Amino acid sequence: MKPFSFHSPRGLGEAVDLLERHGPGAQVIAGGQTLLLAMKERLARPSALVSLAEVADLRGWRYTDSGALEIGAATTYAALAEAELTGVPLRGWHTEIAAVAGDLADRPVRTMGTIGGALCAADPRFDMVTLVVALDAELDTVGAGGGRTIRAAEFFDPVGGTVLRPGEILTTVRFRPQDGFSGVAFEKFRYRVFDAALVSAVCALRLGADGAVADARVTVGAVHPAPVLATTAADRLVGGTPTAVDTVEIGLVAADEVLPAEQATTSVRRYQRELIGVLVGRAIARSHERAHTTTAGS
Amino acid sequence: MTETLPTAPPTRPRAERHAPERRETGSGNKLVGRSVPRTEDLALLTGTARFIDDIRLPGMLYAKILRSTTAHARLNGVDLSKALQQPGVRGAICGQDLLGKVKPWGDMMQDLLVGDHFPFATDKILYEGQEIAAVVADSKYAALDALEVIEVDYDELPVLVDPEGALDPESPLIQEGINYEFGEGNIFDRYRVRVGDAAAAAADADVVVRQRFVSNRQAGAALDPHGCVASYDSFTGVLTIYSSTQSIFMVRDVLADTLQIPRNRVRVVIPEVGAGFGSKAQMFAHEVIASVLSMQLGRPVHLVLGRGEIFRAGTARTGQVRYAEMYLKRDGEITGYRDYIVHDCGAQSLWGNQVVHIGTNVGMLPYPIPNIHIDADVVHTNTAPAGPLRGFGIPETIWAKEQLVDMAAERLGMDPLDLRARNVVQPESFPYRTPMGQVIDSTSIDRCLQTCAEAIGWREKKARPEPNEGVGLAVSMKYTSCRHPSLDTDLSAVRVRLETDGTVTIFSSDVSHGQGHATFLAQIVSDVLGVGFEKVALAPPDSATAPFGLGTYASRAAAVLGTACRQAAERLREKVVAIAAHVLEANPEDLDTGNDRVHVRGLPDTGLYLENLAGYAAYRTHQLPPGFEPTLEAVATYDTPTEREAPDGSGNFSVTYSGAAHAAHVRVDPDTGRITVIDYAMAHDTGTVINPLIVEGQHQGGFLMGIGMALGEDYVYDDQGRLLNASFKDYQAPYATELPELTKMFEIPAPSVNIPGGQKGAGESGTGPVPAAIGNAVYDATGVRFTALPITPDRMLLALREKERRGLDSFRYPDDMPDFTSPRTPDEWPTPTGSDEGDLLL
Repeated sequence: MKPFSFHSPRGLGEAVDLLERHGPGAQVIAGGQTLLLAMKERLARPSALVSLAEVADLRGWRYTDSGALEIGAATTYAALAEAELTGVPLRGWHTEIAAVAGDLADRPVRTMGTIGGALCAADPRFDMVTLVVALDAELDTVGAGGGRTIRAAEFFDPVGGTVLRPGEILTTVRFRPQDGFSGVAFEKFRYRVFDAALVSAVCALRLGADGAVADARVTVGAVHPAPVLATTAADRLVGGTPTAVDTVEIGLVAADEVLPAEQATTSVRRYQRELIGVLVGRAIARSHERAHTTTAGS
Repeated sequence: MTETLPTAPPTRPRAERHAPERRETGSGNKLVGRSVPRTEDLALLTGTARFIDDIRLPGMLYAKILRSTTAHARLNGVDLSKALQQPGVRGAICGQDLLGKVKPWGDMMQDLLVGDHFPFATDKILYEGQEIAAVVADSKYAALDALEVIEVDYDELPVLVDPEGALDPESPLIQEGINYEFGEGNIFDRYRVRVGDAAAAAADADVVVRQRFVSNRQAGAALDPHGCVASYDSFTGVLTIYSSTQSIFMVRDVLADTLQIPRNRVRVVIPEVGAGFGSKAQMFAHEVIASVLSMQLGRPVHLVLGRGEIFRAGTARTGQVRYAEMYLKRDGEITGYRDYIVHDCGAQSLWGNQVVHIGTNVGMLPYPIPNIHIDADVVHTNTAPAGPLRGFGIPETIWAKEQLVDMAAERLGMDPLDLRARNVVQPESFPYRTPMGQVIDSTSIDRCLQTCAEAIGWREKKARPEPNEGVGLAVSMKYTSCRHPSLDTDLSAVRVRLETDGTVTIFSSDVSHGQGHATFLAQIVSDVLGVGFEKVALAPPDSATAPFGLGTYASRAAAVLGTACRQAAERLREKVVAIAAHVLEANPEDLDTGNDRVHVRGLPDTGLYLENLAGYAAYRTHQLPPGFEPTLEAVATYDTPTEREAPDGSGNFSVTYSGAAHAAHVRVDPDTGRITVIDYAMAHDTGTVINPLIVEGQHQGGFLMGIGMALGEDYVYDDQGRLLNASFKDYQAPYATELPELTKMFEIPAPSVNIPGGQKGAGESGTGPVPAAIGNAVYDATGVRFTALPITPDRMLLALREKERRGLDSFRYPDDMPDFTSPRTPDEWPTPTGSDEGDLLL
């Protein structure tokens, strides 16, 4: 670790000012579960850290009037994982977000780590990175030049990292209202329970009035520097009702799309390719089952 | 050969005969045999135990080591000038500074004329992570800053990672200028066994099974890092070194020799050691570096390694490639074993060549195989130094041999349980000497085998297999203590002192790093001397006060140290009884000890308190018997009645042997390849158990290291010798959540006859059979025979897919994979580089 100054602003404006004042050496810390490890190994050497821990506006979540779910970027995984115990329980497929938050890394990381911190660290093996793209979330930021809203798929640079500008702070992650999807399922494979994913896959479905799939998003994470939308696989789902055979086949379509055989030259890549098929298939089956349960129950 | 032989006739019934009569271990109020809670645990659990990194001495400086980032290079120069100008820096050194001033080490263990270890690389870099230079500064941060401005000039050399590549005389030469027994080269030692006539056994065999096996490099992964604090007193000339090590006298003697100072001017003191597993059983470069810096500056120097440094430059398990064969008769009798081993010791290794000797010799157990023919080429590669690690080569041998047993059972149409039962050592009488030379003084291995099989539900599961599930067995016998071929000694010592208030202090140089010495030694002393358990304390290991002993490794503490302790306590008991007899005017034979006193036999509430007797010896010496030397100390050194290795590789290296029989029940997910050990049964023979709580903990920990070796752990190198997983984040050591509940643990004691208390070693029994038991269970579940470790989900799934694609019932991973480039069939196997021709020792 190298010397640095530590700042703990109470408000967003102050945080933006601090980042601007301390220039390119300044970095936001929001949980620090990636940054501190890098600093310990001297791989990251910020001259100033601006902590978001005391910025109250960035913690917690709420439902907007339109039914969208807004989660503050400095909300910890642990808080989100226990959402059902709070005053603002999550509804319907939004509970999958809490389930993902409660089943990643280990307890100390979930206690300290935040959603926004993970998204800005942009490690493709992080579950939240895959999930926000899969669910087509919107990300709000503020910076010295004002604020903007970025769609999750555009937030991550395909070659790695994010499109955040220097001094820009991620503030809010906004998920669609309930009617955005009928069923969502996240699947991943990790070697050990506390490891990051080797492959993650999400299927988000919306059923039409006839019960057939009206809209589908299939997303694969941890394989490339940013999550990849498997659009061919998703298109295959639209208009039908996936059977057990279909889920397996569409899983293989996704594998071909995301990691074609000719690119899977190492054993790890070949294994990831196999897992994409399996996990996409599982995600489709589970999301579809949920969609039907939800639709039948509503 | 694919013929299926008829099922072997049932094995002849055998009488229950496991060991001589179990000896009396004491009356009901004795502590030996009881789960006394560990004295050590309060400090450990409350965070008050003091480890190496907790030591703070007045005026202490901090040192850090610059390590090579390349695996093989010509080192042209190291420029420390900028580092020395950094703020807070007090000194900096590199290899050239020490040439001719400190002596290389490693000669004794390896039987070399000159040692091959030096504190820093001097003209050549041999592996990634090797020491290049060191800086000492006011803070560790200042030291790290200074490391960044050291300039290293080097030219890269071709890198050798594959141990079999080392057999090629054209391979890049790693250790230059060392004349080994067989000349210069990457093959730095050879090993062989010639017992019976293996060629004749092969010719007479009804079944021969052959397979190439590979075993992995595994980290010690002790949570407490390697490190030391060296403190040189320039007035007395005494160098005190606090170190996280398993052996204080190995550190003291080798360090004094390296520094060329008298051994009574080096004092080694040990704080709490958070485990070693074999990875701290030698002196390391950092101990020399801290000592030299402290001697230069006259100030204490703290030097504790980071995890990446420990992965790269601590010692890891030796890697092996084995070309193994087993010969059997139609009735299942194992008549022969042949093996050619390429044994990878990394770039340099103090203990590595010993691992193949002992691991192979003892690894033949529990089968008394009459004909054994083994060769090993012991090689260097540009990888991390190898050394001892829990099991000392036995898990590697068992991994190959116990899978051959299952392969043979399949060919014979026998149940693997019956085949093992047919062969495990069950002599007519004890002691029994196996053809390999081991003297078995007692064993219950046959009952261990049946017990673990029954606990896992072996017969039912074999009769009604579930899809994707399987069961597997493996058995081993682990040495308790060891007379190493290069180290002709196997001793430990204890001094006990009755203090003047009736308490007892135990002095021992054998470091407790998880074995619970303070607890189990106190149990022994308490029983022998009749002193209360709570009145017995173990002094911290300190070479200035402790008697000479070898240290804590090789599962030797309970048996060897425990015996020394028992003997010292008995000698002390004789003294106090003699004083009491004189004072009471009684016959010593009529006296007994107990309740903190010496009393008349049968009258435990009478007599004299130990406190009074100690007072006579210290302060009222006229009370002593005439001519009685007024001391209440007793010392005992116990050296085991073991043998050196014979030229044919045979010999009895261990004072007694602990049995282990394991049964695994696994499930494999055919979609992801995930292997889950859903149930596991272990039956052990640890002889007379001194403390069941400690022994169970040892077995659980041993299993943990075994399952890590089986399912995840390995040093992953790229082709340039860079270690890709040198952190706990990437290194696949198992988490608690990955482990099965270990509820099926059985202890079936066959008390040792050689050891006066009957105890056997516990520390490594739990590791040896695990990879093979899981490997056999995986084959049972999937038809995939893993011949290389670890068995990971990715390998499993790719093997399943390839097996399915080719429509095969059974499949070997990696041998049957399309991209496998090593020999697939025995006709392609390499031959050992050595030859018996003209060998006078045979």
